[in-house]
Amino acid sequence: MNPESTELLQGTLDLLILKSLALGSLHGLGISRRIEQITHGTFVVKPGSLFPALHRMEEQGWLEAEWGASETNRRAKYYRLTRAGQKQLGSETERWSRIAGAIGRALEASG
Amino acid sequence: MTTPSKLHSLIRNLFRRARVEQDLDDEVRSYAGLLADQRIEQGLSPEEARRRALIDLGGVEQVKERVREVRMGTRLETLWQDLRYGARMLRKNPGFSAAAALTLALGIGANAAIFTLTYAVILKSLPVPNPGQLVRYTFRETGASDLSISGPAYDSLRKHETVNQDLLAWSNDDLAVDENGTVTRASGALMSGNGFRVLELRPYLGRVFGEADDVTGGGPNGYQALLGYDYWKRHFGQNPNIAGRALNINGRAVTLIGVLPERFDGLIAGFPTDIVLPLSFEEVMHAPHPQRHAPGNFWLTVMGRLKRGESLKSARADLRATDAVVREEADPSHTFLRGFFAPFKFGVESGRSGRSFLKVDYARPLIVLEILVVLLLLLCCANAALLMLARTTGRFREFAVRSALGAQRGRLFRQVLAEVGLLAACGLALGVWMGWAAARSLVAMLADVAGPPPALDVGPRFAILAFAAGVTVLSALAAGLWPALRASRAAPALDLKRSEALSPSRRLGNWIVPVQVAISVTLLAAASLLGGALVHLLLEHSGFRSDGLVMADVDLSAAKPTGKQAALDARQMLEAVENAPGVQAAALLQAPPLHNGWSAGHYFSVGPHGAVHSDMQTWPETVSPDYFATMGTQVLEGRGFANSDRSGSSVCILSASAAMNFFPKEEPVGRFVYSGGADPSKDGTDLDPRGACRVIGIAEDVRFQSLRQAPPRMLYSLAAGDDGGDFFTVAVRSASPGLGAGALRNAARQVVPLAPAPAIYTFRELVNAHLQQERMLTALSACFAAIALLLTALGLYGLLARSVLLRTREIGLRLALGAPRRDALLLVIRQGMRLVLIGAAIGLAIALILTHVLRSLLFGLHATDPVTLAGVVALLVIVALLASYIPARRATRLNPTEALRCE
Repeated sequence: MNPESTELLQGTLDLLILKSLALGSLHGLGISRRIEQITHGTFVVKPGSLFPALHRMEEQGWLEAEWGASETNRRAKYYRLTRAGQKQLGSETERWSRIAGAIGRALEASG
Repeated sequence: MTTPSKLHSLIRNLFRRARVEQDLDDEVRSYAGLLADQRIEQGLSPEEARRRALIDLGGVEQVKERVREVRMGTRLETLWQDLRYGARMLRKNPGFSAAAALTLALGIGANAAIFTLTYAVILKSLPVPNPGQLVRYTFRETGASDLSISGPAYDSLRKHETVNQDLLAWSNDDLAVDENGTVTRASGALMSGNGFRVLELRPYLGRVFGEADDVTGGGPNGYQALLGYDYWKRHFGQNPNIAGRALNINGRAVTLIGVLPERFDGLIAGFPTDIVLPLSFEEVMHAPHPQRHAPGNFWLTVMGRLKRGESLKSARADLRATDAVVREEADPSHTFLRGFFAPFKFGVESGRSGRSFLKVDYARPLIVLEILVVLLLLLCCANAALLMLARTTGRFREFAVRSALGAQRGRLFRQVLAEVGLLAACGLALGVWMGWAAARSLVAMLADVAGPPPALDVGPRFAILAFAAGVTVLSALAAGLWPALRASRAAPALDLKRSEALSPSRRLGNWIVPVQVAISVTLLAAASLLGGALVHLLLEHSGFRSDGLVMADVDLSAAKPTGKQAALDARQMLEAVENAPGVQAAALLQAPPLHNGWSAGHYFSVGPHGAVHSDMQTWPETVSPDYFATMGTQVLEGRGFANSDRSGSSVCILSASAAMNFFPKEEPVGRFVYSGGADPSKDGTDLDPRGACRVIGIAEDVRFQSLRQAPPRMLYSLAAGDDGGDFFTVAVRSASPGLGAGALRNAARQVVPLAPAPAIYTFRELVNAHLQQERMLTALSACFAAIALLLTALGLYGLLARSVLLRTREIGLRLALGAPRRDALLLVIRQGMRLVLIGAAIGLAIALILTHVLRSLLFGLHATDPVTLAGVVALLVIVALLASYIPARRATRLNPTEALRCE
């Protein structure tokens, strides 16, 4: 675990969860590990934040859940994107790059 | 499209609770298991792995709780839990719950009752489209009720005004409906042909009549009528086939063409509408003297619907511009509008609620009552708050423990509010019921003398229930906000340890009681102000002697007698009562006093140098010889009438102010006053002896028209023997009212058996009905003040009782150290008095402001004198001392050793 952990905003966490599920379904721990992986250790999501986010997004219709078996043959709940979730991922990604680009330009501007 | 998904989740969360919880539990534990697996892979032992996993997880319950927080339906669930918990808490303490709910019910009920009346009398709009566009034309003397409008004036107004789409005319009258030989009375209304169009009123059944039907004879199909919904239900069993049925009304065949909508009950509040006919029908009813074009008959209610873009202001401006033209056209002879009724002015006001005689009399008193009842509600909320506060401080340990266990502040806050909400809901249900019952008795108080109570609709209406609900919510917040805040702030470490005596809620209780005292002082001051006005009016010399005086209003109009017959009937009735046992004196009056009527005659006198004093506002009253003895009016100079005086206009008696008006510098007795008849051009220079009467006496001024106004100038003359009116009053003075009433009843049965039984009442009853507004205000404000005193006393008692309980140790210490028992007593009493005096001071300030407001609303109120205010404060102090007595005695009875031990 990377000691460098940063506070995550809810919207950012949603985006990361959506992204992590882009390639297929994962269980809770798997999502947490994947997020850590794709952010190169910048974001470490605790269960206390992950679980509420997963359940909220499921209620909103962006994720679907199903019980299955883990690598260690343990019963685990697997999440995957719904069609709406995929759309949401697309629009959120586009929005984020727009914001990031704008902030980047703002910081580069002299004076 | 997340809404269907959310809805699905909501339903699942609410109704499949167990499964959802189980699922969550499984998932979190599975996560922990996976973490453990990870650790095992890294080489830890299974137990160590599991332990580390749980630490990383952060605790199973905590995670589950965080998921629950964001779940859909959480808020509803917690609300439901809060309500159930609150209900349980309230059930555990039935005494407190009942007290708090009753207190709130009292405040809510009183407000609902007064608002019901206010709504029915002032606020209720006519059930037609856009009632805000309606206006009503009035003809009023400042300060007095408005007179209706004459037929010619209506026509003239309609011709000249420019701001309305059209003007309609309406009049209520009794109809005689003949069904197969039985004649029943129905409340009828006459409306001009354009009425339905102006009101935009559509029938419930059938069709309406129009302008083509509002002609003499009733138009091509004769007279057509619509039935009121209630009458149709009662009399015709809601038969849908009434169109085309014929009814015999006042001797004329009338065709029914429809039924009015259910909620429409006429344009004049309190006068129900059973049958509506075109205005032209009046020639049938008033034959042989039709009133439609009579300039001196004021009988129409005139209303209009403003054109788009016009307002009341523009209507008033328009009226001002046309006033002169209308007065000229409506009465070219100048007898009425410029003569007798010169002090009356045309006006226009909002017609949203139609016309209401009740509104004129009761609008302002109702506003006053609204103010007082809101103050009462505040007091009730204060009491409820005190009770709630006492309860929550008793439970603050419970709150502290729950807080320590992890309950969030918001939760505790909401939960106390839920309890208050439940109490308030009970208060609402009880209060609405109490309010409804009270409103019905209040309406009964509005009844006219010997008449039925006005037909006001005081059933539960949406507006009233919404009002009551709103009041309840505000009360609940007022009563519960502080206790809820206090509960949520329960700091576990502090509150679990410290003694209740130091709790800040005691400080709060210390200023609720002064608020209660202030409100009580205000209500008491208002009650004494209003009661004082009533007493003043009652004690004022009216010019009549009320004890033993009974009167009967006789109405011969149904039989349509000739003038001669009517005069004969009146004389025979007088003889019949004079000869009845126990009767000391009896008299006839043309018009009874205090009936809100108005009468004027044109008279003039000629001074010694030919100067003419003319007066068109002298009130002529035709009486019988024994009038003054019967009514108790003193004759100041000269003599009263005697049997030997010839009836007719040859002799007359003036009231003192009339005498002063006609003969300012000379002795009136023996001089002549001339009647100008209906011709204002007569100025007396011809001194026609036929119109002359000799003044034989001067009577004291009487408040004939109204006890609230100055006495009118009166001229009494004897009734002519052969020309009587359809309406007259017989007055009887007897040893007891029962004898007098019996004599009148028998005489009526004997002499005029075919006329409807006359209304019989004592003079006392007449005065009471006349002063009904003041009586209602006095009674209700006194009632509110009494309730306020009681509640304040209870509040003070409760506070002091708790205070003694909380300070038991302190008092015990003092006693143990040798203080005399009386010190304990004084301690408690001083605490109570301090609160009362602070409250009284605030209350006096508010009372002075309120007095000012009341005096601007009502006439006849006198400035609050310091004596009354001192009396009010003294009363409060006495009540407070009584309330303090028991707690104070308990303080003196404390056993020091026990007291020191207790906590």
